[in-house]
Amino acid sequence: MEHFVEIKPGRKLLKRIFLSINLWFVGKAIQAAAKVDDEVKQEFDALPDGFTFSLGAFPNGPYMVVGKNEKGVVKYMGSKIDTVRLDMKMSLKSIECLFLLFTFQESTPVANSMDRLYVDGDIPHACSIVRIMDIVQVYLLPKFIAKLAIKRYPKWSLKRHTWNRLMVNLRAIAGF
Amino acid sequence: MYIPSYYEFCCKVKTVAGHGTLERIPGLLEAMGARNPMIITDKGVSQAGLATIVINAIEDKISIGSVEDDVPPDSDLKVVNHIASIYKKKACDSIIAVGGGSVLDTAKGVNIVVSEDADDLMQFTGAGALKRELKPLIAVPTTAGTGSEVTLVAVIADHDNNRKMLFTSYFLLPDAAIIDPRMTLTLPVHIAAPTAMDAMTHAIEAYICLSKNPLSDAHALEAIEMISNNIMAVMEAPDDGDARLALGTAATLAGIAFSNSMVGMIHTLGHSVGSVCHVPHGTCMSILLPYGLEYNMHKVGDRIAELLFPLAGAKVYATTPRQERAQKCVQYTRDMNQKLYEATNGIHARNLKEITDRDQNPMVPQSKLPEIARTALGDGSIFYNPEALEYDDCLMVLTAAWQGEKLDQSKVRKG
Repeated sequence: MEHFVEIKPGRKLLKRIFLSINLWFVGKAIQAAAKVDDEVKQEFDALPDGFTFSLGAFPNGPYMVVGKNEKGVVKYMGSKIDTVRLDMKMSLKSIECLFLLFTFQESTPVANSMDRLYVDGDIPHACSIVRIMDIVQVYLLPKFIAKLAIKRYPKWSLKRHTWNRLMVNLRAIAGF
Repeated sequence: MYIPSYYEFCCKVKTVAGHGTLERIPGLLEAMGARNPMIITDKGVSQAGLATIVINAIEDKISIGSVEDDVPPDSDLKVVNHIASIYKKKACDSIIAVGGGSVLDTAKGVNIVVSEDADDLMQFTGAGALKRELKPLIAVPTTAGTGSEVTLVAVIADHDNNRKMLFTSYFLLPDAAIIDPRMTLTLPVHIAAPTAMDAMTHAIEAYICLSKNPLSDAHALEAIEMISNNIMAVMEAPDDGDARLALGTAATLAGIAFSNSMVGMIHTLGHSVGSVCHVPHGTCMSILLPYGLEYNMHKVGDRIAELLFPLAGAKVYATTPRQERAQKCVQYTRDMNQKLYEATNGIHARNLKEITDRDQNPMVPQSKLPEIARTALGDGSIFYNPEALEYDDCLMVLTAAWQGEKLDQSKVRKG
């Protein structure tokens, strides 16, 4: 790093708290969706065992870490990226960019197209994670907000819209 | 005019285009403080005599450290490390890459290893791994299509681990691109046709996809017009140096456009057809171009309509009612493929089932379409397509493209 000096942003405490809570809940919801939703299960099945990824704001967070252990079980692994070996790191360019994303002022595709989202890792794996996060957003958000976050709102069965949605949210809150 | 609230654009490649520009290479190298370049090329380029043309153009003004023509069609990690070791042994100080995409990717990989004084390219995977300028690199493209002479990406295959590694950095941009029509003058028309359509697809997707911006748009529109005005001239008179130069310049323009705005589903599907069935990239692009436009019509029809002007000219644009321009644009791309099919005596394929290998065996059996659709879901360009693309969507488009039928736009799921 002798050629470039990373400038760390100010603390932005309120935004950091807001985003940390959001990332924590999305991480828990991914863990829950991997148990409840067949499509999410299939996406994780295609990823290698032990695969771990993070999503957060460059350069110093907040982050969430989600991983699939050797038995294929998907777990939210907390907010620290220094203590785990990451196979893929998805970073928004700054905490402001992450805030735009999590307040639905900007969708994931738009964030990506405006060079705000960086992926460090295999692109096919990144494609899987983006699809998983799209599904999780549909579970967590009302339709009129989810439509701002994804390219196309999916046509799901009634069971998926109701029972699965309930289970994902309950499991995310309860943490199992 | 669409102006995004934020965008980035960078092209710092010095482009030297025109007749007799190969002779400028020694001067360019000297200005960069280099005196002993390594030429990296492949066997096909060597056997076509193109490497010799480059050597003859420069050897009386500069000493050539080494000529390496062992680059395989798919750039390879071991080859990169091997060529890098020769570079060091021969005390070279710069690279001239003569060839297409794989040659240039290999040259970029070698440049990373030698500039960082390392032994293995694998040490530099991941975003931000490169932090300083590399050795001088001059790109001499031998096709008018890929635009890789102005892109900041290198894709290197690690065959031992069956994966492709993507290296992205502004430091990977070549220092200069030499567009000399002597490099493409002997390119057969059945190869010139799909490579030009590859460039056309770069420009069109740069213009209609999510990362478009005013600067990439300007390059894309000029590229489309130049290709449209010159592609048939090359088909009719392959030794027309001016038309070849125009196509070469257009390919560079398109390369600048798409490397600053990315590409969409035509590449998503095209990469996958190429990966699963080993079909040349330009052929996939030619065939899938009208389908990509039809699929995205409901989202970016206004942008597609604007393309009729550079594609078909002012008269056609002015005499076509506004609401019909987008569909006319799609039809125009289909008509181009038909004309290229006729100009190449049926070698230029118009649909996936027409693609054959040298022994006339079909290269894309219909049974492979599901595998192609699954592979497409892992291609990064899918992010930049205006409309979402899932497995069923991919399969629907591929099936239409295989049969050569227009896409039924009423079946496209609209987001």
